[in-house]
Formats: sequence, C-alpha cells, structure tokens
Amino acid sequence: MNPILTFIVILIGFYGLSTSDNIIKSVFCVTIIESGVILLFLNLGNFEGGAIPILNDHLVDIVDPLPQALMITTIVIGSTVTALSLMLCIKIFHHYGTVEWAEVLRREDVKS
Amino acid sequence: MINIPILLIFLPVVTSILVYLFKWKHMNIVVLGSQLILTILAAIYFGHFYGQFEHTHLVLGGWDHRIGISLANDELSMSFIFLSIFTWWMVLAYTFKYGKTDHTFLFFLVFLQGVFLGLLQSNDLFNLFVFLELTTIIVTILIAYKKRGESFRAAIYYILLNTSGVLLFLIGIILIYFTFGTINIVYLHETLTPGDDTMVLRLSYILLMAGISVKSALFPVFTWLPKAHGAAQSAISALLSGLVVKGGIYLFFRMNFLYDNVGIHYGDFFYWVGALTAVVGVMFALSQKDIKQILAFHTVSQIGIIMMGLSSSDANTFYGGVLHTFNHAFFKSLLFLGAGVIIQVYRTKKVTEIRGVMRSMPVVSVFMIIGMLSITGAPFFNGFISKSIIKYGIEDSTIRYWILFAVNIGTATSFIKMSQIFFGPRTVSYPIKNMAQNFALFGFALGCITLGNFYIPFTESFFGIAYDQEFIHVGAFIDYAVTLGLGFMLYHFVISKDYKPIQNIRNFKLSFESANYVFIIYIVVMVTYFIWL
Amino acid sequence: MSRRLFLIAMLGVLFVVFTLSMIELESLYNNYGMRYFLNEGFDDTGSRNLVTAILLDYRLFDSLFEAGILLIAVSGVIWISKHDVEEKNAQFMLDKYKTPDLFVTFSRLVYPLMLAFGFYVIINGHVSPGGGFQGGAIVATAILILYYIDGNKETNIGLIVTIEKIIYLLIILLASLSFFTRGEFFTNFFVPSANPDLKAIYLVLLNVFIGFKVALGLWTIFTAFLKEGR
Repeated sequence: MNPILTFIVILIGFYGLSTSDNIIKSVFCVTIIESGVILLFLNLGNFEGGAIPILNDHLVDIVDPLPQALMITTIVIGSTVTALSLMLCIKIFHHYGTVEWAEVLRREDVKS
Repeated sequence: MINIPILLIFLPVVTSILVYLFKWKHMNIVVLGSQLILTILAAIYFGHFYGQFEHTHLVLGGWDHRIGISLANDELSMSFIFLSIFTWWMVLAYTFKYGKTDHTFLFFLVFLQGVFLGLLQSNDLFNLFVFLELTTIIVTILIAYKKRGESFRAAIYYILLNTSGVLLFLIGIILIYFTFGTINIVYLHETLTPGDDTMVLRLSYILLMAGISVKSALFPVFTWLPKAHGAAQSAISALLSGLVVKGGIYLFFRMNFLYDNVGIHYGDFFYWVGALTAVVGVMFALSQKDIKQILAFHTVSQIGIIMMGLSSSDANTFYGGVLHTFNHAFFKSLLFLGAGVIIQVYRTKKVTEIRGVMRSMPVVSVFMIIGMLSITGAPFFNGFISKSIIKYGIEDSTIRYWILFAVNIGTATSFIKMSQIFFGPRTVSYPIKNMAQNFALFGFALGCITLGNFYIPFTESFFGIAYDQEFIHVGAFIDYAVTLGLGFMLYHFVISKDYKPIQNIRNFKLSFESANYVFIIYIVVMVTYFIWL
Repeated sequence: MSRRLFLIAMLGVLFVVFTLSMIELESLYNNYGMRYFLNEGFDDTGSRNLVTAILLDYRLFDSLFEAGILLIAVSGVIWISKHDVEEKNAQFMLDKYKTPDLFVTFSRLVYPLMLAFGFYVIINGHVSPGGGFQGGAIVATAILILYYIDGNKETNIGLIVTIEKIIYLLIILLASLSFFTRGEFFTNFFVPSANPDLKAIYLVLLNVFIGFKVALGLWTIFTAFLKEGR
C-alpha cells in the first residue's frame, strides 16, 4: 500500500468528524484517523522485499523495526481512548437519552 | 545527581499507586511527604546544575543518543517544574479534607503531576506524544469526575478534539523521523540547518503546531476549554487553567526551539492568532453570567496575550510572554480557588445572584481582590509587569498596541462586572473552618504580590534577562486609571444593559462538527501561510 | 451542501500538500535507525525480535507509560461506570439476549487453545513475533469468552485492579533494577556483553509481567462495560 492512500484514510476520518452529528460516529472517526496514522507510519517504514524485523543467522534486509514498536504504543493508547469515550457515550445516553450532539445541547438548555 | 529527573517523574507516580492500593485514612499526609521530598530533590538538582544545564542530557539505558529516549533540562524547564510543584502543593492543600476520603481523586491528581513533570523534561518527540495523550486521558477523567451530564459532555468534547489534534502531532513526528532518522529534540536542533528547509519539514512543522494549538486552546480551536474548565471541580479548574494548558504553551516554544536554525518565520502568524484569541476570549467573557465561565474565557484571552509576547523575535518580549505564563498561573489559580469557595457557600454560579461576599467572607474577598487586581494589570501586582513588558515590546506597531489596550479594557470591564458580588448585605454565614483552603489562597496571593515586586531576581536566575526598565511611574498609574475608567463606562452603558447581541454571544455554542470544521480551515490557513507564502 | 463541498476542497488542499511532500521525502529518506537496529540490535539487547528489543530495552521508558495509560484508563472507566446519581435512561442489553448454543459450545472448545496461544506469544516474545502487549490482549480475549459461556459470572473487580496495580509497581521495579547492577536506568540488568541466554531472562520476565498487566487491565475494562449500571 502507498502512504498517500493511507493519508486518504486519515482525511476520511476528518471528513467524518466535521460532518457527523452523532457522538458514537465521532468516536469512530477518531478511531479511523488513528488507524490511518498507524498505517501511514508502518507504510513509510516498509519497503518492497523487506523481511520481518526478526534476526536469523543469515543477514537479510529487514524493514525498520522502530515504527512497529512505536505503533504498538499508539494502538494501546488508541484503545484506551476509545474505551474511555465509549463509556462517556453510555453515560451521556443515560443522562440525556440521546447521543446526538445537538440534541444533548438542547436538552441541557431545557434543564438549566 | 543526573538521575534526579527520573525520580521527579516516578516519585508521584509510585505515590499515587500506593494511595490507590492502601486507601488509608492518613494517605494525604503521605502524599504531602512525597511532595516535600520532590521539592527538595528539584531544589538540589537546580542548585547542582545551575549555569551548566547542557550537562543534564540524560539518555535512559545509556544508548546512542539518537536511538534511546533522553531527558534534558534547561532554565526554562526548571522554572516550569518549580511552578508545577508549587501549584500542586496548593491544590493538594485546597483538597486536603476531600483527599482524606476520596482516594481515587487523589490517585488521579498525583499521577497527573508525575506525567506533567515528564512532559516538561522529555527530550524525545514520541515520548512527548505519549505524555500528551496520558495528560489528555487523566484530564478527561478529572473533568468527568463529578458525574453530571454537563461534565460528561465537556469530557467527551475535550477528549475527541484533543485526540484528533494530538494524532496530527504524531504525523508530524513520523515525517521528522523518516527525514532525519531520529526524534531527539536537542540533536535535531543542533543538526538542522537552513538547507533542510524542505516542504516535508514545513509540513511537519504545521502538523506539530496544529496539535499544539488544540492543546493550548488557540483561536479557532479554543472551544473545548470553557466547557471543560467550567464543568470541572474548582480545584481541578484551577489546576487545568493555571498549569495544564501551559503544557501546550511550553511545547510551543520547545518546538520552535527545534526548528530554530531552519529559519521559519512564525512570528507574525502566531501574533495574529494570539491577538484573535485574546479578543474573542474577552468578547465571550464579557457576555457570560456564570462566574466559572467568565474565568474560563479569561484563560483563553490571557493565553492570547501570552502568544502575543511569545511570537516576538525580541528576547525581552519573548520572556515577557513566558513571565506572563507564570503570572497567569498564579492569579488564575487564585481566582478559580476563590470562586470555588464562594460557589461552595452560596450554592450558585450566577454572578447576578451572589451578593455580599465582602461582609460574609472578608478573607476570601481580599484574596479575590488581589487576584482581580493582578489580572487587570494594576501596578505592584504581577499581571502589570508582564503586560508592561509585552506592551513595550510591541509599541512600535500602533495597531498591535491598540489591540492589547482593547483587550485590557475588556478584562477590566469583565472584572468590574464580577466585583459586584462583593457588595450588598450579608446573606450567608461563613465560619472559617477549613484553614487548608485559606492557606492555598494565601499561597497564590503571596505569589502574585512577590512576582509583582521582586520579578528581577526571578527573571535573572531563570531566563538570564534583567529587566532594568522602571515600569512603575506616573504614566503607569494614569494608564491603569484610564483602563479602569473606560472599563467602567463600557460596563455601565453597554454590558449591564444586556442588549440582544450580547445575549446572542452568550448563547452561541460551537458544535463539535463545526469545531472540527474550523480546525481543518485553520490547518489549511497554516499550510497556505507557511508553504505557499 | 456548499459547506461540504468547501470541506472537501480544504481536505483536497491537504491531500495535495501531503502528496507533494511524499514525493520529496523519497529523496530525503534517512534509514539511520534501521541500520543501527540491524547491526547492533541483537548484541545490545539479546533479543532476536527487534520490536521487542525496542519496546523492552531501547524505549522501555515509553512502554512503562504505555502500561501506565492502561492503568489510568482502567481506574477511569471503573470510576465513570459506577453511578450514584439518578439515571433514568439506563437499559441493559445483556439481560434481554441469550447467547446461541452453538457459540457457547465452540467457545468452550476454543477457550483453552486461546489461553495457551496467548501464553506462548507472551513467553516467546523475544524470539518470535509477539510480546507482552500482544499476548496480553490475546489472553484477555480468551478470558472474555468466558462471559459468553456464562453471562452471570461474578468477578471481583476490586481484587483484579489491586493485582494489576501491584504488577505495575513490579514492572517499574524490574525496569529500574539495572540502576543497581549497572548504574543505568531502564535497561537490561545484565551488562550488554553478557550471554544472550542470560539476557533473555530479563526479557521473558518483563514480557510476562506486562502480559499479565495488559490482560488484567483489558479484562477489567470489559467487565466494567458489561456490568455497567448494575
């Protein structure tokens, strides 16, 4: 895959973030952006014919191991962000009975 | 000696986990003990390396410095470390009673300190990303801590907007890694030359700055801040407004240090971003009626003033901006904590409903007045010094000078509006029983007055700049009186009438989609400015 | 509509800039890091899997805080999921639906295999693909399947969280052991010239700790979602 294609994934995430009016959709859009970033990093570290970064006795051309290590960190961070935001979504639903940004705002104004 | 930074990071982390594990009644005493050790360690470290901070470069694990993670300190990061340790002392004192019973809260609060100290000292770009995300997550939990509907909404708005910003920061890091093969900030600073000024580098600069703009609440993407800081508990609001937002500002000058030798002219752009932030923040603050919302919007406007100082290429003005970061930390924390006490007693946040604070709680009101004098820039208080430095720095350009003046008038107006809570008959009784809260207020008030009068030794030892100019003269008093007078007129004839446009501004809320929309426009403007102009 | 078209135009601008810089990057590409890891990686750390070498040795500091993020998220999710205020819209999905029998039977078959595979990935993290984080996630998935087999399974979240916190302290302790043996923080406590088999002790130990921590953390997060509101 090409890094430019992965950038399109990131842009799709941003398009979704700025058009979707549903909180759950927004959470998923952030996840999409994050997947795009991970793919981008792995793609740039990769090259055609590169072996996995596990050393054998005979020396071969390996791909850059650093992006892979950093992306494990990013995946863990992303999963915690997703878990936390989904829990917040559940709570918002319990409080307002909806997960639409505008509707939540309207019901809050009615309350106060 | 060189390993002290690691202790500075892990001492609070380990203490917080012990708090969570043992849930003992006197755990907050333990926390204060570890805080004391932390303070002593930081002081020893500073004393040992004072004047030779280039030797503090510590590569963890002893690897090649282009491969391993490294920590590095300089005068600026040390000054921020002392500021954060001081702020945590005061916030821990303020929440002393609360911390006895609620250990989960204490756990998050103390853990955040370790993470924030790590953010200040890290010298590795990806490590900075990890710390940024960790700060975002802890702050989200602290915002949602009260478990009200509005705090959940503020928390999710905060975490989603900030995460998308921080992910852009990560793309910037990726581009730097593949262009230079390393992500060590000091190394990059030394090796980067004007010859490296390529489009990739510029794009990485733009993406890093986009992430930082969200974190530090600059003009188009500041909308998360008033929601979050308004919905959190007062102690947390003080911490977030006073310090954690400054993490973004700190990264702003760390990243510009990285690109120092490339010769990217960022000054004008960020001056105007800062000016817009200041003006818009004041405009919103003027229309608000909720006491915490007023303070939160003033954080936005003061960040704008800080950026006006930081974007200057002149060292004096630049450090004026840094000094204002410190001053703002003191007076804004003071105001938030004072407001917290008042809200706790009066059980309402509306400025129009709170009356007679001066009679019922005189001590708190004196501290609040000190904070208000500082933020409006009265002589002998700390806000005055840094605002004067920034004012003298941009005096050559008339329009820039008048923007700052207008922002000052707006600030004065909104605090004249807020000062109405002091007058009126005594309505509630407030026996002083929580001395720890008053102690925290006293600490910040002392900071305001000390920095306002003895700023020269401070700036000399931390920034290496001696401001020999005499700021306090007759002109300054006249200036302040004119500001107050114009502010009073503005309040009396416009704001207090509550016209329709003001109501519209008050009810204007930028939805989440629009915030992201504006964010994308902001990035495109940056691309146009930095690449095609 | 015009709003969306303008948005697409904006994203198009970003796309063009990114494409141009990607073309530029091809001539600038710097693989210093890759060459360093290929030449020095095994001798420095004793790990054949270079990703594990980076995670557990070169950039151990990052991994500590990566585990720390999970720790924070676990406590945060548990705190937020508890409710002591009136919430009227709460509905509980799991009470209404029964898991299909076929799924339950297969889960029973697959469960031990998944557990064994998870432990394999954790323990062999330094010689084959895998490691603590990945293996921990697999083990957590295996445990979560138990909830499909028996939906009313009771879990003592408090105990799990306590164990998780203690394991995190142990990870920090293990990571800083090297300071007492070598004077350097956050690396292998054997000297770099030691036999790779000796160094592997450290890697396996740290992988096991991280694996358990991640498994317990994910388990707790899932339980918090499952029991939310009860």
